[in-house]
Amino acid sequence: MFRLTVQSVWARRGRFLLTAAAVVLGVAFMAGTSVLTGTLRRAYDGIATTNLAATDAVVRAAGSVDGDAGRVRGTLDASLVDVVRRVDGVAAADGSVSAGARLVGRDGKLADGGAHQAVPIGMAWLPTAELNPLRLVAGRAPRAGTEVVIDRASARDAGFGPGDRVTVRTSSGAARYTVSGVATFGSDDDAGGAGVVAFAPAAAARILGVPGRVDAVRVAAAPGVSQAEVARRVGSALAAGGRHRAAEVVTGRAAVEEELGTGTSGVPFMEALLPVFALVALFVGAFVIYNAFSITGAQRVRETAVLRAVGASRGQVRRTVLVEAGILGAVASVAGAALGVALAHGLAALLRAFGVELPGGPMVVGARPLAVAAATGTVVTVVAAYLPARRASKVAPVAAMRDVAVDRTGGSIRRAALGAVLTGLGVVASVSGARAGAAGPVGIGALALFAGVVALGPVVAPRFIRAAGRPLAGLRGVAGELARENAARNPRRTAATASALTLGVALVVLISVFAASARVSMDANIDRNLRSDWIITPLQHQDGLGPAVAETVDALPETGSVTTFRYVPARLDGATVSVAGIDPERVEQHLDVGARAGSVRALGATGIGVGHRVATERGLRVGDRVTLRFAETGARSFEVEVVYDLSSDPLGDFVVSQEAFEANASHINDQVVFATTAPGVGEREARTAIERALRATPTARLHSPDEFKSVVAGRIEQLLNLVYVLLFLAVVISLFGIANALALAIVERRREIGLLRAVGMERGQVRAGIRWEAVLVALLGTVAGTALGLGFAWAMVTALAGEGIDRLAVPGTRLVLVGAVGLVGAVVAAALPARRAARLEVLRALTT
Amino acid sequence: MDMVTIGSITEAPGAAGAALPEAPTAVVGAAGAGDTAPPRAPAARTVDAVKVYGRGEAEVRALDGVTVDFEAGHFTAVMGPSGSGKSTLLHAVAGLDGLTSGRVFVGDTDLGTLGERRLTRLRRDRIGFVFQQFNLIPTLTALENIVLPLRLAGRRPDPVWVGEVVSRFGLDGRTGHRPPELSGGQQQRVAVARALANRPEIVLADEPTGNLDSRRGAEILSFLRQAVRELDQTVVMVTHDPVAASYADRAVFLADGRIVDELRDPTSDSVLDAMRVLGG
Repeated sequence: MFRLTVQSVWARRGRFLLTAAAVVLGVAFMAGTSVLTGTLRRAYDGIATTNLAATDAVVRAAGSVDGDAGRVRGTLDASLVDVVRRVDGVAAADGSVSAGARLVGRDGKLADGGAHQAVPIGMAWLPTAELNPLRLVAGRAPRAGTEVVIDRASARDAGFGPGDRVTVRTSSGAARYTVSGVATFGSDDDAGGAGVVAFAPAAAARILGVPGRVDAVRVAAAPGVSQAEVARRVGSALAAGGRHRAAEVVTGRAAVEEELGTGTSGVPFMEALLPVFALVALFVGAFVIYNAFSITGAQRVRETAVLRAVGASRGQVRRTVLVEAGILGAVASVAGAALGVALAHGLAALLRAFGVELPGGPMVVGARPLAVAAATGTVVTVVAAYLPARRASKVAPVAAMRDVAVDRTGGSIRRAALGAVLTGLGVVASVSGARAGAAGPVGIGALALFAGVVALGPVVAPRFIRAAGRPLAGLRGVAGELARENAARNPRRTAATASALTLGVALVVLISVFAASARVSMDANIDRNLRSDWIITPLQHQDGLGPAVAETVDALPETGSVTTFRYVPARLDGATVSVAGIDPERVEQHLDVGARAGSVRALGATGIGVGHRVATERGLRVGDRVTLRFAETGARSFEVEVVYDLSSDPLGDFVVSQEAFEANASHINDQVVFATTAPGVGEREARTAIERALRATPTARLHSPDEFKSVVAGRIEQLLNLVYVLLFLAVVISLFGIANALALAIVERRREIGLLRAVGMERGQVRAGIRWEAVLVALLGTVAGTALGLGFAWAMVTALAGEGIDRLAVPGTRLVLVGAVGLVGAVVAAALPARRAARLEVLRALTT
Repeated sequence: MDMVTIGSITEAPGAAGAALPEAPTAVVGAAGAGDTAPPRAPAARTVDAVKVYGRGEAEVRALDGVTVDFEAGHFTAVMGPSGSGKSTLLHAVAGLDGLTSGRVFVGDTDLGTLGERRLTRLRRDRIGFVFQQFNLIPTLTALENIVLPLRLAGRRPDPVWVGEVVSRFGLDGRTGHRPPELSGGQQQRVAVARALANRPEIVLADEPTGNLDSRRGAEILSFLRQAVRELDQTVVMVTHDPVAASYADRAVFLADGRIVDELRDPTSDSVLDAMRVLGG
């Protein structure tokens, strides 16, 4: 039986080609994604490993909070370094400090200034060579506070060398330094795409953080002392000195382990996002496979019946089809995995084109991700072929003797009922989830809804196509009529072909509507609540604005009120929240905070403001107490002084005064500065003055409210475009599905086409008929996808109303464009099958 | 509606008066042509038609120099054993298959000079074709199948004429059904109705009764005969059934790609005799 199957697959290899293409593309995407993320992960892991390569133990603050931008840890008193040095078994110990630092190029622009690029690292030069990841390749270590060592890649790109004067911008402001040396990071020219600036040890804390504090103490053990032993000894020394509460000790190996896989920059985003798109592509591919096996199964009813008549059991027939699917899936998946390696380079180039900085170096092609992708592809193929296999096994032996009728089934009551129930459940779950603001039920509802639509497809498809195709008969005559009837003749097939497109279109529509809604909501939010005239933001969150920006802008006679916002993560009942530091006296000159109870002005050293939504959720009222746990200071109790409406940026759900903020956060760095224009000063005059003041801070960006809107819009648009490109593959696969279904249908309809040609249908009419058939199927998929996408978007926007996205905006032109892409794509997909149909030799088509 | 339709309407009555029921004698080859009064131009003819399939050892001469006229307003049966080339001849006249050498005319049109597109239009506008099986498009209703060639030409079918054809073929009440819902005999009647619906210059039928029992077969043959008698239609039918041939005005016999005999007003007995002679 197996050999028979192999032969049968080989004999029909041409017919399997398009089906295989769907598998190949899906698997290639998946393999490419894992190769790329694997490579990135290895690169970032490499940074962690290099950073702590010869460090035997790390002393660090015990308190930590996992915020949105990674883990935030408290700082240690610098005097601890000397305490650790004196411990028996410690050969050397250095205090490490690190934060963002940017080199300014000769042209006055940032050397590495892309908004998505890896943030350059600023760090203390560690005097002990084995604790220092940097290796000097020119010059010498920084000694004075005005000296720095820079990485070789930045030195090369910006053209700096030892002795050159450079400007470096940190959160404490921009300052001039002398390059004392150039170094590599381990053996690499930079730290995984990020530049490095190392400051003299004595000055680093002042420049990068808080004077007298260090991030951690790195320990090198004396010869013959193990990592565990030195960690234990340092630990007991600290406990004896009464310092154990603030600090903890881990071995160097453990510290590296913790860092692995938590790399910063693009990786989490990519690791979360790319596999989702790979799965979507594979899922769409599954529809194509299901369809292809259904069609070939229908074409081989007679062959199957003969097999059954000569004694093959149902199980054998079913296994034959599944083995066929297995062979196809395995071959296509292996090809897909191989193509995936090439695709990984393409994806990397794509992400770079969208401004995401990735570490250089060769792709790390692991056998495992490729094997996983290939196995997934094979399994998906076999699973997708299961239903068609089962149907084939149900062919009665007498079918060998009968003329094969067209399969018109689809509208069975059971299917309609199942579809209706699933759809109903989906709608109920989505709507109630949306109303309750719960994303979970919305997601489950969306899945149920999609499943329901897939189940209902065969019931709805013929009705939809007959209705939508009605004008075709008038427009394209009998070719249009035939297109309509052919698209409607096999509801299950048509529905499955369309479903593949439905999914892709639904996601595109969802993302488009969601993005438009986010944009409109933010615009409205700015219009409604912003009273300020100027918004100053840093290039990246890690850069911050430092204290200098607010001070210099406030000192300008052209500005009136100036206020700042800072953020620190904290734990509240096991969840991480972001706490904003604000100026209670000035904030209302810039924002309408919408106080419902109490007053922002009442925030003192121990007061806190809570957003209305969270206050309702947690049952908090003015006068209640809230305990927050900070990385730097541990648990702190606050009294609720105000409940306010405006819980979107720049306030968030929790606000404290700057006084309280400074008492509890380690790195104090303004993230947003608002300014108003002084009375009687023109807009242009104010802008010129502020821009001049900001010249010393090249990471600061000045926006008017309208400019800020377009900056936000631009960022949304860029992300949207990336998502479009990634979803495009799913749409392409579904178009392959249309081409495949048509090609197979043409094989099935050979004699029909022959007859039509014999009684006078012209080639052009044959082609038009097939093109229009494709358009009708695509129209079904696009309309269903658009409807689903709109529904999902509504549910999501409604669910997220509290997060600042509270308006539904439907980008009409864009949706029309998406639809047009689907329909034009269908015409393109139909081109080859249509050509083949038109070229059929009339006599041969009729007689064989 | 347009020239073709008007042309056949104006032509039909006049021609019917002149030529029914016994038409002038046109004979195979040039020999007997034109010895009786006013000859009508043949609806179709071939001149030294040769069709070769394959090459070298595998070469088959399906048609080996066939020259034949198919008289207008006549019912001609083309007979012969399987492999004699009778279907090939019909396909050549229908413009479905090209010749290796020689010429085919439908009316005055030399099919050899026509490109693919004009051949298609010729089939659509001037020829009606009935196959042995698979004559109908399963997604279209009986009526839609009947008017298919007209619709393909972008013409609006003449409802009076279509109504007449439908009732003549006993298809009243079945026009909205799709082929799978029709019996074999009904399907074939629909096929014949389609072949006649656009009033073609010539109807070509390839074993139209081959898949039917004798009663349904007789029904189809009577319809074809009626079309010739009452509507002045020209019909050429390929068959190997002597009973079917007996409905024709004339039977032409093919063997090994050549015309070997012909009978006027064949009966099933005379056809059987002729076949016996050919076979022996």
